[in-house]
Amino acid sequence: MAAPVIETHALGKTFGLAPVLRDTAFRLLPGAAAIVIGGNGTGKSTLLKILSGLVAPSDGYALVFGEDTRRFSPRYRRRIGMVSHQSFLYPSLTARENLEFYADLYGIADASAAADSWLERVGLADFGKERVRTFSRGMEQRLAVARAMIHGPSLLLLDEPFAALDTDGSARIRSLIKSALDEGCSVLATAHQPFEIDDVAFDLYEIVRGQVAPLEEKEEVRRGGRLRSLLRPRSS
Amino acid sequence: MRPFAAILRKDLMLELRSGRTTTALVSLALLVLVVLAFALDRAIAGGSDAAAGAMWVALVFAGMLGATRVMLAEQENGCLRALLLSPVDRATLYAAKLAAAFIFMLGAALAAMILAILFFNLEFSNAFGTLSVALLLGALGFSALATLLAAISARARGGELLLPILIVPLFVPALIAGVKASASALSGAQFAAAGQWFGVLAAFDVLFVAAGYLLFEHVVGEE
Repeated sequence: MAAPVIETHALGKTFGLAPVLRDTAFRLLPGAAAIVIGGNGTGKSTLLKILSGLVAPSDGYALVFGEDTRRFSPRYRRRIGMVSHQSFLYPSLTARENLEFYADLYGIADASAAADSWLERVGLADFGKERVRTFSRGMEQRLAVARAMIHGPSLLLLDEPFAALDTDGSARIRSLIKSALDEGCSVLATAHQPFEIDDVAFDLYEIVRGQVAPLEEKEEVRRGGRLRSLLRPRSS
Repeated sequence: MRPFAAILRKDLMLELRSGRTTTALVSLALLVLVVLAFALDRAIAGGSDAAAGAMWVALVFAGMLGATRVMLAEQENGCLRALLLSPVDRATLYAAKLAAAFIFMLGAALAAMILAILFFNLEFSNAFGTLSVALLLGALGFSALATLLAAISARARGGELLLPILIVPLFVPALIAGVKASASALSGAQFAAAGQWFGVLAAFDVLFVAAGYLLFEHVVGEE
């Protein structure tokens, strides 16, 4: 069996005295796609931040590509693309300049061509010279997805990727996620409600009382049972 | 080298677009020098000590805006997180931010020097070399200190209030050395007369550039 892309062990995170995640153990295999659903403040974003190395866990640890996220080296960070609640875009730069900047950071050979290509793919080709400050929330979200994918990551961490998107934007982002999966990328997304992408079988999970549980097993978690290895790979 | 150039170019482009820092920087330098030039007794204000002091006060206040801005700008839309997620190593990130802060400080130093010459009616021709070295060393030290502390305050609630409280006391040794070296230059003394003060400024630079290089990774690390 291929080594998991994500593997967490008794992962927990506490802010102050409030535990957000606790004793979370799951795995995600290469090429797998999973959605973690949950309401506001349930710890979805915290989970993704821990997996990206931005936030240190309070308990346990997470391995991404076999590397402990607390000691992420640049070559592992290169393999991750993340869409967050914040767009990570500079408002005073144009859409094209933002993408070129991130392409340069990731060492893409032809940053200009990559920026143009991704502007086209997210449907913002006509807005490349516009400053991000003038963008609607939906346009900014499209550009944020382009920013996260411009370097061809092996793992996509998507925090509510369809937030603020209109029908066309949503369709384009679904198509991009599917293309990434087809190319072998693994995807872990969060959302308030499950979403569908044609021909993609997502594993569905829910955060219940700080634990990530497969949707069908959530009743067991609610009864206080401790579940381990909750995120099973799609292929198993 | 490419990420370094990309970050530096982006910071300068952001400033060219907004012009906020440059405008504030020159305005503040002007304000400080006007107030000090008129507040000080004419006999005192005519002296090189007063002129050097006023110039460095203007430089520090203006620099506080410019040098810290390069880190604080990354807070908008969580851009600092994107930099930390990228494969750019923390030393390169620090070097790029330090370079951007240094360029802003050079702008502040130039503005402070020109305005001080005008307001204090200084005889400048013989002092240029010594004064330039003092300002360059001071600007580098201030940039190194400001970049490191701005990175700390960027993670703290109310960090912008925290910055001046941290920067000014730590910069005092370099500030004294800078004022003394500049006063020496403006009084017409030889370059060598300011040698000991250049030593203090250089030591300060080495200390805080090294501290920033070593500590930056931990300062901007995990939340």
